[in-house]
Amino acid sequence: MMLQQASNETNIKLPVSFVIYSLVAFVASQLIILFAGSQMIDGVFRTPAIWSAAHLIILGWALMVAMGSMYQLVPVAFLTPIWNERFGFFQFWISAIGVTTFAISLWFFPKLMIYTGMLAVVGILLFVFQMFMTMRKQAKKNILTLFVGSALFCLFLTISLGLLLAINLGAGISGLNHLAILKSHILLGITGWFTLLIFGFSYKMVPMFSLAHGFSMKLSKWVYSLYMLGLGLTFLSFFMESRGLLQAGLTVLFMAFGIFVYHILTILKSRLKKKLDRPFFFSLCAIGFGAIIHGAGMVLSFFPTYYTAFGLLIYLYLFCWVVFSIIGYLYKIVPFLWWTHRYSKLIGKQNVPTLKEMMNEELSLPIFYGLGIGVICITLASIFSQLVLFYISQTIILGATILFTYVIFDVLRK
Amino acid sequence: MTIEERIYDQLRLVIDPELNINVVDLGLIYEVDVTENNYVMITMTLTTPGCPLHDSITSGVKYAVSNLEGVTDVDVILVWEPAWSPDKMTPEGMKLLGR
Repeated sequence: MMLQQASNETNIKLPVSFVIYSLVAFVASQLIILFAGSQMIDGVFRTPAIWSAAHLIILGWALMVAMGSMYQLVPVAFLTPIWNERFGFFQFWISAIGVTTFAISLWFFPKLMIYTGMLAVVGILLFVFQMFMTMRKQAKKNILTLFVGSALFCLFLTISLGLLLAINLGAGISGLNHLAILKSHILLGITGWFTLLIFGFSYKMVPMFSLAHGFSMKLSKWVYSLYMLGLGLTFLSFFMESRGLLQAGLTVLFMAFGIFVYHILTILKSRLKKKLDRPFFFSLCAIGFGAIIHGAGMVLSFFPTYYTAFGLLIYLYLFCWVVFSIIGYLYKIVPFLWWTHRYSKLIGKQNVPTLKEMMNEELSLPIFYGLGIGVICITLASIFSQLVLFYISQTIILGATILFTYVIFDVLRK
Repeated sequence: MTIEERIYDQLRLVIDPELNINVVDLGLIYEVDVTENNYVMITMTLTTPGCPLHDSITSGVKYAVSNLEGVTDVDVILVWEPAWSPDKMTPEGMKLLGR
């Protein structure tokens, strides 16, 4: 018999701090986008306000929530306690102050950007170090380790490239291909870090939440290898300025994502839980959206005249794949965190609520429909340059964001 | 009612909060050993090694059985082999999953 190991649970205050911060950043980013409507409609994305909103949503919301979730998920999924919790709190404050001041300086004090950016980078580096120290203690490495480890490596590269961009903007580095570095920064940050991370944790959470059993994990190696190959080819295409390589890279990325979708479907087929929870279903829908957007990216790479549409695809990828996945999984993670804090000592002693009862599942429908309809309408507003439609759709997204924030804070009152 | 039966009744009070099914019907309890002086040793598993409810469920099992009159002490041993499989579930547990 293989015996269990010691308790791996993380101090709840650590992941909760990240989640609370991320929700505030999420609402703030959507507010800024609402007020930057005319720039968005004109397709002028590289403006201080939009830079600020983009970094708030990517760093303040998605990255901070991913870090918080990892503080909770890594110990349970990898059966390894967090290396140093006190270091975790220190890392939280550095990151929170860094990301906040960076977002503000991007908009109002560009000269300070290099210092605030450095602080944000230090916060993220501390996180990468914390995870490296934690995961190296994992007794039995598996494919999840590879996905999450590679995601962390991509995060490290992303912030290194971001720093290079900031230095180049401030001081100028001769001979530096700024555009290629910017594209790589976006590629590694969004597809490398977020997608590999969501792939890795989906392989743990999809079987867990659907109670799937007896499935094979063989395809995950193909997903990993092809996705890494696709990332490598796309990365190279930016520096070699080769359209053929870009087309090859995006095609391989789409193939890898397609195999991932098929693999998840086979896992779900072997599930015991017949009726899936509604928010979890939305996480699964996000996987479908991710595949469609990857497909669209591949097709677009063959039509250079329309390359400006990549900006819109990145927006859709962030929202429909990354944000939808995170929101769906947060519907599971936050109630679990709070349940553990409030009720884990009471199990077996008195009646305790189920995880499902911790969160208002009914409100998940207006949240997801609000975000979904909002994103579709924003896409249409951007394509047809309709400012009024943009304002209406962004208001819907902002409303859904505030409602989601309320749902999460409501859990913390139970 | 034997002490083993009373222990199983107590264990039915320990509910997996994610699935809303008790640990007995989920098939998580592998063995219940009771010694002459009513020391209880429970060998159990979880549906997956990375189960986030790991500590909550095992401590719930320990507490529920410790509460039983006459029980002197309880130890819970969590094992991963043999791994949990659906055929360990009771028909009641399966029904609760909608099967």
